[in-house]
Amino acid sequence: MPSEPNQLAVFWRGKPFWNVRWVDSQADNVDTLSMSENKTSMTILTRLGRWKEQGAISPEQHALLASLSRREPFSLFLELNILLYAGVLAFVAGLGWTVTTWSQQLGDVVVLTVLSLILAACLWYCFSRGPAWSPAETPAPSLIFDYVLYLGSLVWCVELAYLEKQLHVLSGQWDLYLLATAILFFFLAYCFDNRFVLSLALSSLAGWFGLTISHWPYHQDSAYRQYALLYCLLVGGGGAFLQHRGLKSHFFGTYLNVVANILFWAVLSGVFDRQDYGSWFVALLIACGASLAWGLTRRQFAFVAYAAVYGYVGVSSLLLRTFNDTTAVLTYFVITGVAMLVGLILIARRFGRSE
Amino acid sequence: MRLYSASAEETLRARKFVKDWAAESRIDGVQNQRLEQETVSGLRTTNIFLRLVFFFFTVIIVGATVGLFFEVFLSGSSQQTVGIFLLIFSIVCYAAAEVVVSQFRLYRFGIEEALAVFSVGFLCAGIEIAFFSGYYSSQPRGDQFLIPLVGSVFSLWIWHRFGLWYAFLAAMIFAPFLPGYWTSSHAAQHMIVAMVYSLGLIWIAAVRSGHRYDYLEDAYSLAEALLWFGIYLALNLKLSSLDLPARWWSPVTRNASEFSRSFYWATWVLIWSLPAAILARGIRLKDRFVIAVGAIAAILTFICNKPYLGWQRHTWDPMLLGILLTGVALFTRRWLSRGPGGVRNGFTAARLSGKDKHWMNAGSAVLGLISPQSVTPRPQTNSDFRFGGGASGGGGASSDF
Repeated sequence: MPSEPNQLAVFWRGKPFWNVRWVDSQADNVDTLSMSENKTSMTILTRLGRWKEQGAISPEQHALLASLSRREPFSLFLELNILLYAGVLAFVAGLGWTVTTWSQQLGDVVVLTVLSLILAACLWYCFSRGPAWSPAETPAPSLIFDYVLYLGSLVWCVELAYLEKQLHVLSGQWDLYLLATAILFFFLAYCFDNRFVLSLALSSLAGWFGLTISHWPYHQDSAYRQYALLYCLLVGGGGAFLQHRGLKSHFFGTYLNVVANILFWAVLSGVFDRQDYGSWFVALLIACGASLAWGLTRRQFAFVAYAAVYGYVGVSSLLLRTFNDTTAVLTYFVITGVAMLVGLILIARRFGRSE
Repeated sequence: MRLYSASAEETLRARKFVKDWAAESRIDGVQNQRLEQETVSGLRTTNIFLRLVFFFFTVIIVGATVGLFFEVFLSGSSQQTVGIFLLIFSIVCYAAAEVVVSQFRLYRFGIEEALAVFSVGFLCAGIEIAFFSGYYSSQPRGDQFLIPLVGSVFSLWIWHRFGLWYAFLAAMIFAPFLPGYWTSSHAAQHMIVAMVYSLGLIWIAAVRSGHRYDYLEDAYSLAEALLWFGIYLALNLKLSSLDLPARWWSPVTRNASEFSRSFYWATWVLIWSLPAAILARGIRLKDRFVIAVGAIAAILTFICNKPYLGWQRHTWDPMLLGILLTGVALFTRRWLSRGPGGVRNGFTAARLSGKDKHWMNAGSAVLGLISPQSVTPRPQTNSDFRFGGGASGGGGASSDF
């Protein structure tokens, strides 16, 4: 089945189905889509040999990189971490289940003693084995270190829930527990450089905001929305401040992603509202612009994706309110979908090659 | 028959290696620049976020276009006409996917992926509506098995042609729908599915041996891992309910628990043997995906063992499992680190790739947000325990007892 080297041939029952030229003028010197080249492809090992011969890499580098390419040695780092995470999660799930089921038979003293012992052991381990504090990113001293801290944090949650439910220490003032928990988790996350616990802290703080509002006599979606914005302002501002001060700057990405998603959800819920959506729509446009600009300048494409998807959903929901005809709605999706795709392709053409 | 040349894909793979080595400072900046220039594949790639967004908008465009076509031109048409046009749209989508790749050199770009996915979906829906609509009976038509069969074969073709791993998964998902049309015996259905996956596994194992260290190795590795997992699920009677998809697909109602004693206990032996076999193969090949499937299968076997034996579950079972998993991880780590240079039998617990760190960072941030809601218990309103308690946020501290 002959085919031109610079043509893609698609065959149907042994005959050319169509032939499509694929080469553009700028790609003459690059590897191509031609199937006839398959036999001449170079594996990574062949390339390494050639690079060594050309002097692009030293013989020592060649030996190292070739062995890594052959997975010699094979790293089980990721697998062991996943096993530890699953182990901690399963343990805490079992602990919670056991405490829930057997609390009356065991008694409060036994339950609280056991939970406190586990918590104390975890904290003792972390404080006694933890590395010297540094504002920069600090690697964990051992494989299990991060997971012991995570276990301790989750056990704290179980114990706190048990304390309040059984003993009503704070008479149902859950928001105070959550605030205290958030503060503790922020401290532990920054103390031991732990992203698991940082995420717990951020979700605890979000829970505190939500529960505080639920205590109020008059609350509705708009109040939640405003406090979601306040949460974003507080967390985003705090994260930016800490990053500016050089305190665990690598956490900033986590802050930004959490803030961006909560902000977009809050603003979108305002846009979905049938009344007073104008200011929320403006806020959505501003948020999309900011997210897009941030994503492109910092090459963090998650923010480009947020701007595109949340923005499209918000604008579409507003525009489609006036459409009653199915044909018009479908036409809208075709036209706007193509427009979005073209716009994003233009962005991708500029930034897309580097992942 | 792959749409991309081996040369281009091999170059792209080399580019990823170079990027990883540079991130780990195994090559310096000058070397990185030079090697990057030598690894220009000519394929247009994008990052995962834009890829997802492209997929999303292509789905909107294709869905709306097809909907618009039916709304404008075919409203009130017969089912057969709709089915025929769906088949035509399937061909159009497939051709469009081929064209955007060949013309614009797109590689894992989202657009061609959505088009390929739609071509499979439209094909199956088209066959169903064009040839089987209006057939309502307690017994499926004998030739109705063609729908999952065609879906499976076409998905395999998409996998082979475009190299999309989830097309292989789709082909596997179609397979359990097949035996329901041939036999009413549950045991036979499980066996047929396991046999189909086993045949696929034998084929993949034979083919992949010729692709060690080349660009196809990852694709075959993932395919093999999925097939192993499929076999495990087909044989684990406590996990797989082949009755369920059959009920979705056809109006036939079947009785559950009709396995013979010997079949039941044979599957129990197999669910204990398979994880060991999978792990052994994964370790021998140093295959990350196969090792992962072996580990998952082993954990599932531990979880399913008591229900299999008819024993009562205890509330502390997850704790024991957690201790076991942690113990295995720590023992393995310690055993490996005590080898010369932290290496034993070609394995190490040390991190060698920047990708591992990237995955760890992303995973820990996301899982930290999710996990508290999934591990803390719900209020104890009755004796049944349910996972998934905990109010939003609060690290799950808002759960009741």
